[in-house]
Order: sequence, then structure tokens, then C-alpha cells
Amino acid sequence: MGLYSYLLISIIIFTIGVYGIITQRSGIKILMCIELLLNSANLNLVAFSSYNDDATGQVFALFSIAIAAAEAAIGFAILVALFRLRDTINLDNINILRW
Amino acid sequence: MFKDYAALIVLLPVIAFVLTLFLGKKLYSGGALLPIAAIAGSFIISLGIFFEIYPDGIVQQSIPWFSSGISQMNMGILIDPLAIVMLLMVSFVSLLIHIYAVGYMSHDPAKSRYFAETSLFTAAMLSVILSDNILQFFISWEIVGVCSFLLIGFWYHKPSAAAAAKKAFLVTRIGDVLFLAGIVMLYVNLVKIINDPANAFEIGSGNFILQFKTMFEAIPLIDKTQLTYITLLFFGGAVGKSGQFPLHGWLPDAMEGPTTVSALIHAATMVTAGVYLVARTFPMFFNTPATIMTGVPDSLLIVAIFGGFTALFAATMGLVMNDIKRVLAYSTVSQLGYMMLALGTAGAVAGTQAVSCSIFHLISHAFFKALLFLCAGSVIHAVGTNDIREMGGLFNKMKITATTMFIGALALAGIGIPFIDIGTAGFFSKDLIIEKSFEFGEKTGGWGWIFYGFAILAALLTSIYIFRLWFMVFTGKPRSERHSHESPGVMTVPLMILAVFALLFGFLHTGFFGYVETNFELMGVEIAVHEGEVVHPPIIIVLLPVIVGVLGFLVSYVIYYKRMLDMSKIISSENPLYKLLYNRYYEPKIGADLIGVKLTHDVVAQSGEFIDRKIIDGLVIDTIISNTIFKISEIIRKLQTGVVQNYASITILGVALLLVLLKLKLGGI
Repeated sequence: MGLYSYLLISIIIFTIGVYGIITQRSGIKILMCIELLLNSANLNLVAFSSYNDDATGQVFALFSIAIAAAEAAIGFAILVALFRLRDTINLDNINILRW
Repeated sequence: MFKDYAALIVLLPVIAFVLTLFLGKKLYSGGALLPIAAIAGSFIISLGIFFEIYPDGIVQQSIPWFSSGISQMNMGILIDPLAIVMLLMVSFVSLLIHIYAVGYMSHDPAKSRYFAETSLFTAAMLSVILSDNILQFFISWEIVGVCSFLLIGFWYHKPSAAAAAKKAFLVTRIGDVLFLAGIVMLYVNLVKIINDPANAFEIGSGNFILQFKTMFEAIPLIDKTQLTYITLLFFGGAVGKSGQFPLHGWLPDAMEGPTTVSALIHAATMVTAGVYLVARTFPMFFNTPATIMTGVPDSLLIVAIFGGFTALFAATMGLVMNDIKRVLAYSTVSQLGYMMLALGTAGAVAGTQAVSCSIFHLISHAFFKALLFLCAGSVIHAVGTNDIREMGGLFNKMKITATTMFIGALALAGIGIPFIDIGTAGFFSKDLIIEKSFEFGEKTGGWGWIFYGFAILAALLTSIYIFRLWFMVFTGKPRSERHSHESPGVMTVPLMILAVFALLFGFLHTGFFGYVETNFELMGVEIAVHEGEVVHPPIIIVLLPVIVGVLGFLVSYVIYYKRMLDMSKIISSENPLYKLLYNRYYEPKIGADLIGVKLTHDVVAQSGEFIDRKIIDGLVIDTIISNTIFKISEIIRKLQTGVVQNYASITILGVALLLVLLKLKLGGI
């Protein structure tokens, strides 16, 4: 498997993520889609790292995973707080930050 | 050795100011000890420097401050005879008044603020005195003005005090603007001179552009008309600060502050800054052309006119005031007029001697006027009112205050014995000024005699009003049921010390004149004094100041002690002259009501408000700018939908667009 197959998978995952973010209404699903985006980027990092024979990319990917975990924790915490307040996590109903 | 610590003269009170301001409440007696110790330190250093430099040394220390183009500004210290005598006087009088204030302010809750402010004031005044350049002089001068504002409005919860503080600030500001304009004009002229190669004028190394030394050296090169304007603008500043006509109105109103403030600022030190300014820049005044009257430099003539007129003008108002402090305030204005008169007239007949003449009166006035004010404070402290009509018969209750105040009154009236040279401080200083104005009349003739008239008439009135005050306060029957008592020792001891100086300071006159006269020579400034033939005034002229002094005493004695004349006919609202004087020549009406309220507020401020509110705010901003922006933003704000997906789509779209653009720009696959 060459570099291209990795990139192709990465692109597919990324596109699924973007599609999910735009179309989904549930907060949890959107967060999951964001995870997909991050993971496609991580896959890219690892793929290029292996291709270039340079460990930096892999180290970077580890960082990125750690940060993604933290980000997910914050995101879910926000959603829990939101649910307690509004009894819903449907983002269509949460739109007070507007004109 | 003291010379090296010259900067501490100013810095000690500044440090005391900071410490007292922040820590004063926690210290003994509201932190009074810190300023007292600091000012005592300043006094000791000044005294040490005096003994080191006497009789012909000066101290000059300068450091560069900032520079722009060819002009380097500096901060520095210049202690010459003129400065050292002022330093000694200010630090000494200030020290005594601070000690006195411990007693006088003992019941005030805001003692630490009081002592912090007076300490800063003293620092600023000392800095005015030992500035070696006009810029630093001006900065210190402004700090003095701020302190004056703060201290007049010390009891700011009283509306009258707040108004008086505001008035003092605004009126002196007029003078300050003129002074600043003078400095700017001087600077422009100096730069022009230095840039003109024809002059070959260079500032020596270690000297700076706005230093007094440089200014004096450049005098011959400055255009004569310009020099007149510059000096007159300087004099404008002095008029504001020293309460000369027509900017005198703030000084009597400034009596709203505590009496110690009146003694410190509005009698002994701050108001003399104006006189000191003219004395400091005297060579410039002296070298202005004589176009109005032969042999009399224009600027000096104008100084003399304002001074002489103010001396008489203020004395007339002093006659009718019923507030003990107001009488003294008008007396201060009048005596400051004398100092200006001395600079003007003696400058014309005796050159730089005028400076020693005027400063001698300044210092003797500082002693006896501080004494009079502190006595007044002692009386007010005891009876709790300022109105002399409610006092009377206090002599037996307050013997020390009464005696010291009588000495102060004698000194103010200039009582002494001619020919054998025994007399109070005022006898030597004021009579000399009167003699000089006589010589001026002799020299110029014609309407030059008017100055002698001013001086001698003012002397008569001075004597009348001060003894009227004394008789009304201390003799006769008590006119109100007030329990009064002598003040505590912390207040009476400074009175006694000042009384000793008021009595004996005059005997220093020979040494003083010899010393201060050399001032400008020591600075290396050549002033051509046209020595005329020495005028020996007739005996009657020598005697006349004392005669009018005694006459004034007798008049007051007859009217206010013996009560041989019924004053009620004269003192009535029917008498137009009394009304005019009592209403202070309608100065408050003209100054505050007409110029302040009618002209400034109703006309200028109101039309300004109209332009600002109706035209700029109303038409331009509201209708044009604000409305347009409002309409556009109405449309744009619709973009903020609050739906997360919209934001996400737009973000992704933006990134995609960016990639496409990047691709187009870079080319390749």
C-alpha cells in the first residue's frame, strides 16, 4: 500500500466528517464528526511520517490525539451542561447567539 | 559639603509628602512630624549652603533632561544670593507654620492630607526658587498652583471653599498661560539667535538653552520689541500669582482655607513667587527699550504702574473688610504691590539694587505677615469666628497673641525711628521702597511722581487698617458671648519667634543689600547701571513714611479705641464710597458674575454647547453618520443566524476557496 491509499482513506473520513457536521442536528453527532476530522488529519500525519521516514509526524499525531481527548471531554461537558439547562441538545433549538 | 546635598532641599519634603499621604493616618498627630522633620532638614541644608557660599559663591548643578534639535533642556539647581535668601526664608517660615499647624489643626479629621499637601507645596516652592532654568521654574510654579488649589479647597465640603479654590485656580491660570506664552516666545527667539551664524552665539558646554544664564547672555541679541513682549508676558504670570490688579480677586477669596494655609501660601511664600519671577529675570526687564518715559525701561515702568496701583487699590479695600483674614489678605495684595513697585521704580533709578530692595521687603513681609496671619489664626481658634465685629476685649485673655500681633502691626505699618536706624522690619524695607519711588519722581519728573503718591498714600492706609484691626479685636468690650482662651504653646512659640524676626530682621539691611546686589555679577551677567548723581531726599521725605505710619495709628486710636468719632454714619449702605469699597470695587461681580457666568458660561459655553449638541452631535453625527451606519448594519446583522451548521458550512467553504486560490496562484498539480 502506497501513500496514496492512506491519503484516500483520510480524504474519505474527512469528507464524512464535514458532511456530518453540516447535516446533523444532534450535538453529540457533531462532536463525533469533529473527532473524525481530527482522526483523518492524524492519519495524514502518520502516513507522511512513514513516507518521509521521519518520526516527527508520529510524535505530532500522539499530541494531537491527546488534545482531541481533552477537547472531546470539554465538548461533552458543555453538552451535558446544555442538556441540564435546556433539556435538549438539538442545535436547531439552541440559537440564542444571533441577531 | 552641604552643596552636594542641594537637591535634598526639594527632595526631603517630596518624600515627606508621599509618606504622609499614604501612611499619615497611622502616624502620630496625623503624620505632622514627617513634614516638620523634612522641612527642618531643608532649612538646615540651606543654612549650611549659605555659610559655605557666603559671600561670593554660587552653586550650579545641572543634568541634561531631554533634547530636541539644537536645544537641550536640563534640570538643575542654581543657588545664588537671591535664591539662598529666599530658600532660608521659605524653609524657615514654612517650618514655623508647620509647627503651629500641629496645634491649629489638632481637631481636624483630615490632618494627614493637610500635612501631605503643605509638604508638597513647600517642596514645589523650594523648587521654584532653586530652578536654574525657566522650564523647571514653570513646572514647579504649576505644582505650587495645584497645591494652592488643594489647600484653599481643603474643607471642600463647604461650597464657598470649593468655589474659592476654583476661582484661585482659574484666575492664576490666566497668568500661567501668559507666562507659558512668554517662555515659548523666548525659546523661539533663542533658537533664532543660535541658528543665525552672524551672531556667533553659542551655548557653552554644560549650559543649556533655557537656563537663566543662557537667557541673560542672549539679551543683547534679542530683538528689543520682542524682549518687551517676553518680559510683559512673564509679568502677566507674576500678576496672576502675586495677586496684582486686575487678577487680585482670588487672593482674598483664598482665605476660605485653613488660616495656616493662608499664612503659608497666601502671605509668606507662594504669592511671592510672582515677585521672585520678576526679580529672577530682572536683567531682561532692565534691558527693554525706554520708549514711554526717558530713562525708564518700558517693562519696568509697567511693573511699577501695576504694582503702585495695586498697593493703593488693595489698601483701600483693607479699610472696610470685617473678616479678620480678608483684611490681612488685602494687606498682602497691597504689600506685593509694594514689591512690584520697588522692582519698577528702583530698577529705573538704581539698576539691580531694585532686586535686593524688593526681596528685602519680600522677606521682611514674609515674617510679619506670617506672624499676623498666625495671630489671626490664634484668635479665630480661640473665639471661633472670623468677624472682627464679634470680637473685642481679647487683650486680657490672649496676652501673647495680642502682643505679638501688635509687633506684627508695627512692622507692617513700618514704625521706627529715623536717623538712628532703629525700627521694625517694615521700617527698613518699606521706607526704602518709598524713598526709591521718590527718587524715581525726582529723576523723571512729571507724572513719574504718581508712584510716590501711590506709595505714601498706601502706607497711610496700611497703618490705619492694621491698627483698626488690632483695636477692634483686642480692645474695648467683648461684643459677643464667647468663651475664649490663649492658644497652646505649640502655637504661641512660633508666634514669638516670628515676632522676634519681625522686630529685628530690619537690622540686617546693610549686609543683606551688599550680598544680594552682587547676585547677577556672580552669574556673570553684565548689567550696565546708569549711576545718576546720588539723590539725597529732603528730611521731610525721609520722615514722611514714619509720620504717616504714626498718623494712621493715631487715626485708628481715636476712632476705634477712644470711639471719639461715630462711624455708623460713614459705615452705611447709603455712603457710595463705603459701598464701593465694601463690595470690593464690584470685582467679584465683574469677575465672577459678568466674566465668569454671563460671558464665559452664558455666551461662550452655551454657544459651544449649541454647536456641539445640535450641529455636531445632532446634525452630523446623528443624522448622517449614525443613521447610515445603523441602516447598513441592520442588513449585515442578519448574517448572524445563531445556527452552528451555517457557521461550519461557511468556514469550510472559506477554506475550500482559499485552497483553490492557492492552487491558482502556485500552479502545478
